[in-house]
Amino acid sequence: MLFNSVAFLIFFPVVTLLYFLLPHKLRWSWLLAASCFFYMFFKPEYILILGFTIVVDYFAGILIAQQSDPKRRKQYLLISLVANIGVLAVFKYYNFLNDNLTGLATLFGFKNPVPYLTMLLPIGLSFHTFQAMSYTLEVYRGNQEPEKHFGIYALYVMFYPQLVAGPIERPQNVLHQFHQRHHFRLDNLYAGLQQIVWGLFKKVVIADRIAIIVDHVYAQPSLHNGFSLLLTILLYSFQIYCDFSGYSDIALGTAKVMGFDLMKNFNFPFRSKTVTEFWRRWHISLYTWFSDYLYTPLAIAQRDRGKWGVVFAILVTFSVSGLWHGASWTFVVYGLLHGMALSYESLNKKYRKRAAKNTPAWLYAPFSLLTTFFFCSAAWVYFRSGTFAQANYILGHVFTRQPGHNYFEVPGHQVWGEPVKYLGVPASELFGTLALIPLLLLLEQLLSNRKNEAVLQRLPAAVRWPIYYSVLFLLIFLGVYSKNNFIYFQF
Amino acid sequence: MEHQKIISEVQEIFREVLDNDDLEIQENTTARDVEEWDSLNHIQLVVAIEKHFKMRFTTAEIQHWKNVGEMVHCIAQKHSG
Repeated sequence: MLFNSVAFLIFFPVVTLLYFLLPHKLRWSWLLAASCFFYMFFKPEYILILGFTIVVDYFAGILIAQQSDPKRRKQYLLISLVANIGVLAVFKYYNFLNDNLTGLATLFGFKNPVPYLTMLLPIGLSFHTFQAMSYTLEVYRGNQEPEKHFGIYALYVMFYPQLVAGPIERPQNVLHQFHQRHHFRLDNLYAGLQQIVWGLFKKVVIADRIAIIVDHVYAQPSLHNGFSLLLTILLYSFQIYCDFSGYSDIALGTAKVMGFDLMKNFNFPFRSKTVTEFWRRWHISLYTWFSDYLYTPLAIAQRDRGKWGVVFAILVTFSVSGLWHGASWTFVVYGLLHGMALSYESLNKKYRKRAAKNTPAWLYAPFSLLTTFFFCSAAWVYFRSGTFAQANYILGHVFTRQPGHNYFEVPGHQVWGEPVKYLGVPASELFGTLALIPLLLLLEQLLSNRKNEAVLQRLPAAVRWPIYYSVLFLLIFLGVYSKNNFIYFQF
Repeated sequence: MEHQKIISEVQEIFREVLDNDDLEIQENTTARDVEEWDSLNHIQLVVAIEKHFKMRFTTAEIQHWKNVGEMVHCIAQKHSG
């Protein structure tokens, strides 16, 4: 079920209301049933995959904790990891691996006998398998008691707000919350609803408005002038941010209304002054996952190699995290580009610090902000493009102009009987969409914390309420309501 | 070695690695409290501490520390052991 659908508009209040009306001991089963329904709304049979990993990880967790023999403990952990990664390999990476095998075989003059399979990627697979692995890993490390209650463990994996696109939670953060008795609280309702509306606004107003332009240009990049390509690349950064952080906000908000606290997934990523800082602020739940379970063990093992050990660990981690998004080499390059930027920053830390000291702050701060933003935007071209050819074409033509036009021109196209369109939309809509970006930055300024309280909360009610109503008004009248998927659902 | 003495030596290492001369750490300080203390710098801290105290931690030990106190406790144990 999509958060931005009519079905969810009914599902959410019904589930929440019954959740609070039911006695505590029945609530977990109600939430679990609701979560199953939510998931099966997409493609019912895939719930069997979830069921399989839940059973394996549930027993693996208990067995790991019971064993004192380190070898046995490791074996049980391996069973759990193989089951989860195996499911991912089969359903997400099978054809990718097979394609590469074919390429390799052709190179040596052989024919690849393994058949190509057509299957639909189970929704949110990369999210819930990672959350499940986090559980057995934390039990193995002794940071989490195994969950004895099978239903509660299943709920840990399936809790509908974060099931299909995160945040990828940790057992220490949430498992105990499913045992707690939550009471209905008005302040939770307000805070949760506010976050839901803000998330929806980012998704259906900003991201989906921008998507119209971005999709149009990406459909045939060669038809567009250099400046249009540049504009599209920068717009996509805002699209993907609003799409994904919007989803996270709705997830956190729905959980909050029921009294659950999920982890923060975004922390104003476009305020980063380095790429390293960007990864502390962007998709936090995934990158702390990779940092805890892949980067840190690798870097510890390689620590005698000095700086190059760190660089090695960074590059491996970011390539794998790129591949996490999708089974394609373009995602690996996306990750690798970020890995290279982080390595560069880690190797040149002293030099950059000196440069910062010798440059006036009013110049250095915006310069760092913009370079970071431009770098991320360029890397996202590989994320958005289906092929290297397309990504390379776009990046290679950002600063060129088409014959007969000057660089800054955005040529209009007209189909008979329709208004002139620029980048696929009428001029008024183009300007309207561009105006959403300063609006986003302004509203984010109001939502950021000063002394542990959002700036917005400190404003007088006479200012606050008009702001709430304007956002709601824009949401209703400017939102795109044509069943647009969230970008991260495909992962 | 006394905990307090270890903490003050560890603090010096933190200040140097994280390049922040005003940094104050206590037993209950965690990576969340210190902005520059991310997973990249964490390894450099571990390497610097190992070098300074002439000891070697296991991977499991490093991953178990939840705050400065646990790290210091581990150093003290190794020092006397």
